[in-house]
Amino acid sequence: MDFDALTGCLVSSACIVTQTTSGLIIGMLLFLVAVGLTLIFGVLKIVNFSHGAFYMFGAYFALSGYQLTGSFIVALLCGSLGAAAIGLIFERFFISRVYGRDVLMQLLVCYAFVLIFDDAVKLIWGPEFKSMGMPAAFQVPPLFIAGGVVPPFYLLLVAVALAVAALLGLGLARTRLGKVIRAAAHNPAMVSALGVNTALIYGAVFALGCALAGLAGALAAPVRSLTPGMGFSVLIESFIVTVIGGMGSILGALIGALLLGLVRSFGSIGFPLFTDGLMYLFMVIVLVARPTGLFGKDLA
Amino acid sequence: MTIESKTGESKMGINRRATLALMGAGAMTVAAPWVARAQAKAIKIGMPTILSGRVAQLGTSSRNGVMIEVEKLNAAGGLAGRPIEMVVRDSKGQPQEAARIARELVNTDGCEMIIDGEASSGSFAVQEVARDLGVLCVHTCSEASSLTADPKQRIPNAFRCARQGIHDSIAGGNYAAAIAKAKGLKKWATCSPDYAYGRDTTAEFVTYLKHFAPDVEIISETWPKLFQPDYTEVITRILQAKPQALYSALWGGDLTSFIDQANLYAMFTQMEVFAVNMADYTALTVVKNLPKGIHSGNRYIKTFPATAENAAWGDAYKAKYKEYPTNWSWQNATAIMLLNEAAKKAGSADGKKLAEVLPGLTVKCPFGADGTVTMRAEDHTIVGYAIGWGTTIPTEPYVPEVKAGDWKQIFELEAQWKKSKGYA
Amino acid sequence: MSELQADRSSGRVVAGAGQRRSAAGADLLIAAIGFAVLVSLPFLFSSKALVDFVIRCAAYGLFATSLNLLVGYTGLISFGHGMFFGLGAYSFGLLMQRTGLSIPAAFVLTLLISAVAGLVIGAICVRLKEIYFAFVTLAFQMLIHSVILSWQPLTGGDQGLRGGIPRPVFLGIDLGNQLHLYIASCALLVVGLLLMRQIAQSPFGYTLRMVRDNATRASFIGINVWRVKLAVFVLAGMFASVGGVIMSLFVSGAYPEFAYWTISGEGIFINMLGGVTTFIGPMVGTVLLLILNDTATRLTEHYGIILGVVILFFALGLRKGLMDFVVEWYAERRDKASTRETST
Repeated sequence: MDFDALTGCLVSSACIVTQTTSGLIIGMLLFLVAVGLTLIFGVLKIVNFSHGAFYMFGAYFALSGYQLTGSFIVALLCGSLGAAAIGLIFERFFISRVYGRDVLMQLLVCYAFVLIFDDAVKLIWGPEFKSMGMPAAFQVPPLFIAGGVVPPFYLLLVAVALAVAALLGLGLARTRLGKVIRAAAHNPAMVSALGVNTALIYGAVFALGCALAGLAGALAAPVRSLTPGMGFSVLIESFIVTVIGGMGSILGALIGALLLGLVRSFGSIGFPLFTDGLMYLFMVIVLVARPTGLFGKDLA
Repeated sequence: MTIESKTGESKMGINRRATLALMGAGAMTVAAPWVARAQAKAIKIGMPTILSGRVAQLGTSSRNGVMIEVEKLNAAGGLAGRPIEMVVRDSKGQPQEAARIARELVNTDGCEMIIDGEASSGSFAVQEVARDLGVLCVHTCSEASSLTADPKQRIPNAFRCARQGIHDSIAGGNYAAAIAKAKGLKKWATCSPDYAYGRDTTAEFVTYLKHFAPDVEIISETWPKLFQPDYTEVITRILQAKPQALYSALWGGDLTSFIDQANLYAMFTQMEVFAVNMADYTALTVVKNLPKGIHSGNRYIKTFPATAENAAWGDAYKAKYKEYPTNWSWQNATAIMLLNEAAKKAGSADGKKLAEVLPGLTVKCPFGADGTVTMRAEDHTIVGYAIGWGTTIPTEPYVPEVKAGDWKQIFELEAQWKKSKGYA
Repeated sequence: MSELQADRSSGRVVAGAGQRRSAAGADLLIAAIGFAVLVSLPFLFSSKALVDFVIRCAAYGLFATSLNLLVGYTGLISFGHGMFFGLGAYSFGLLMQRTGLSIPAAFVLTLLISAVAGLVIGAICVRLKEIYFAFVTLAFQMLIHSVILSWQPLTGGDQGLRGGIPRPVFLGIDLGNQLHLYIASCALLVVGLLLMRQIAQSPFGYTLRMVRDNATRASFIGINVWRVKLAVFVLAGMFASVGGVIMSLFVSGAYPEFAYWTISGEGIFINMLGGVTTFIGPMVGTVLLLILNDTATRLTEHYGIILGVVILFFALGLRKGLMDFVVEWYAERRDKASTRETST
């Protein structure tokens, strides 16, 4: 524990700006993964334990897309669409068989696929770790904002995540499809009775959630090494985010992700050797004080 | 040839045909005992290692390193005339599985010795199995000093054929101190993974850096978790401390993630970076935007030692496995070379006899600083392997000039270090 | 939770005291026979692998069966049960390495430590329901795992407790000898299972089922639900820690992986594999998983795909654990037989 360093940081504006932005960067990428997780839980009532695998698929598809075309835009598309496609197949053929079943059964099916997906990636792309490399457009010096350092690539990342948050929030609140999704989350039997194809809704929501995880993986690919099993630590963190924010709440995922980012960035100064422990402690405290999370129960 | 037959056999292991085949084989040995006696019995060597998950590369490249030497050795007549049959199994990185597999290899599969390709906690679990069963065991991946340096851990039948952090740190401390003095680098920061290897190696490096350059000061320490995907908060923290130089014991994918992310902050233009694990092909060939001039210790590089043997070995490996060897590859290959030399000396492939001749044994080896490596008698760990530091460039040969470490100096300071730890 | 409950279909009422006593007698007899069979195994087969296998079965079996007290009997789905497995291994290992206590004393102290930890953690966790209980237990598990990694001077961090666990001879028992360890593990397994069986069949055990089926109704008839849940959480934690003790003796050490969530995951998987509607289901699951694990690692390095496909077979094909399947199949056959009898 290093309280001196922490107080030292809190009185320096450069330190506050830099650590806050780094918290924001960590948080926004987490948000992209977590929002898919929370969306799937909100509508399908499934804790998608295999969500990290879609983050991994996103990164690997982006890598292949980037290697083939050299375009980062294509890489992002490959990552999100590839993850969505696998997600859709996974939902239609496997997850749809366990709707309404025991939560343990659902978890087990997801766990089985975590194992299978990890081995599949090892077979297809090889066991060694890979790196995509930074696209030339972003190989530029960092910007200085209010004494803090901000790399332009991370500005893009945060902008994309914020755009996704806004689109999702607006889409669910304002569009007809959004209303149907919210209704399906609330009372699937009623929605089905009204003639809406709930299977279609479920498949679409699951694919969307996976696409978001894939997008996060693709965005992370230039700066994080790719290995089979890379989705796991991201899954755990986004899982904490959704639990803290409230399962099923998009706003909760956003706030939870930002909180966790800040806990990490300032925790690394005050408690450098116990940053992970701090996250779990935070989760315990929130769960005990408010079991449904900070913004639980309401979708969007 | 024996290896293929082994995998063939185990694949059929559970079906009825295999049972029949085994019964048939049994009947044959009873009926024709001379057939069995005519060929020397194969010697089985068991190898628990990690073939799945994030460090699967450790296991696959270790196995490659072993197999390339075993195939050569078998073609030349085997271990004291007995062909080697490797039995490699995946512990998935779990120590209880490593212990279970090691026991199974010895008790059920009839392996007469163990090459332990486990890292960290797994290697300690295998050490306990070796202690219990008394089987010859060569650790080939664990660099944790205490495994052999600590007399409480040491056992007569276990050996380490791998780098040891203290050796790298003394050589690295000496090298870094010279640069620190020349360039006036006084304020240093460290960034190493928060587990035993990272902590120990970093502490030792700092000790010897200060030993050789007493006015150096450590102004910031950061300890990311092993396999942490994101280093943003660590990088910004280092930048705020404004050090003149940074030391890191990050390795593999963690190191490349760190470099990619630190590049965004232009970290490498702001300080000298000493990353002991950079000069390994796993990292060198993967990083797309490798900054120029990172100081690194050698891990495996085919241009150091700059001998024809080493280059040929690296090329042969690449031709066979379509990738360059890793640090684990040479360590495992050396284990087979050592066993072979020991078997020649003992005139037997018996594990107990090998354990008697291994201490103090010197073997000709492409990875030796002077063309040989030695299994040091006092603490059962190899010494004399190639050790050196240099700066990286983004293309082959990646580290054009490597300054060799001085083993005499390493031995002197290591002896003092052992005393300070209560190991000697 | 409906499909995963112990004794779901039985609908039997709490047995009378006399019946209970005779049932306990039958259990005792089965336990004695089981123990005798286990002990005779190494004398009938000279396989050392069999000895190792049964020791691991004892460790995982106690752990998984204790988890079933929570999952199957009380409807408390814990994702963090592995913390007690790790706690047992570390407490026992540390006591033996640092204090020089005798093995029985260290064993009893380990049970006490687990009970206290269970009491503190349980008091916080059991207030939460369903999936939130699962989350909070998982969070505690990860917290304990982080503490083990961070508290390096005591726990050895990621390298675990090194240098072997001393096993001084007590009462003529030398646990350094694999055969002695085998017999001791079998004894712990059989006694542990017998005790858990008695708990499950006692009035307390039926209270657990009632809390599971309808907690509100249980509280109306004067049951303190919180206290009942806490009691079973503590008991299950103690039995799980015995599993950890056996594992620490088997590997002669304790490693942070013992307290990682994957151990909890394996426990849950074992329960699903064997089935939670019978008492013996988790034990069957343990044997199945270990055989599966050991053969898969022998045959392939793509263990994940094989295990994944097997899980899918159970989750989507059978849709229940093996023992559930057997019990239902047996009940169906019996029903058919009885209808045939009445019709003729």
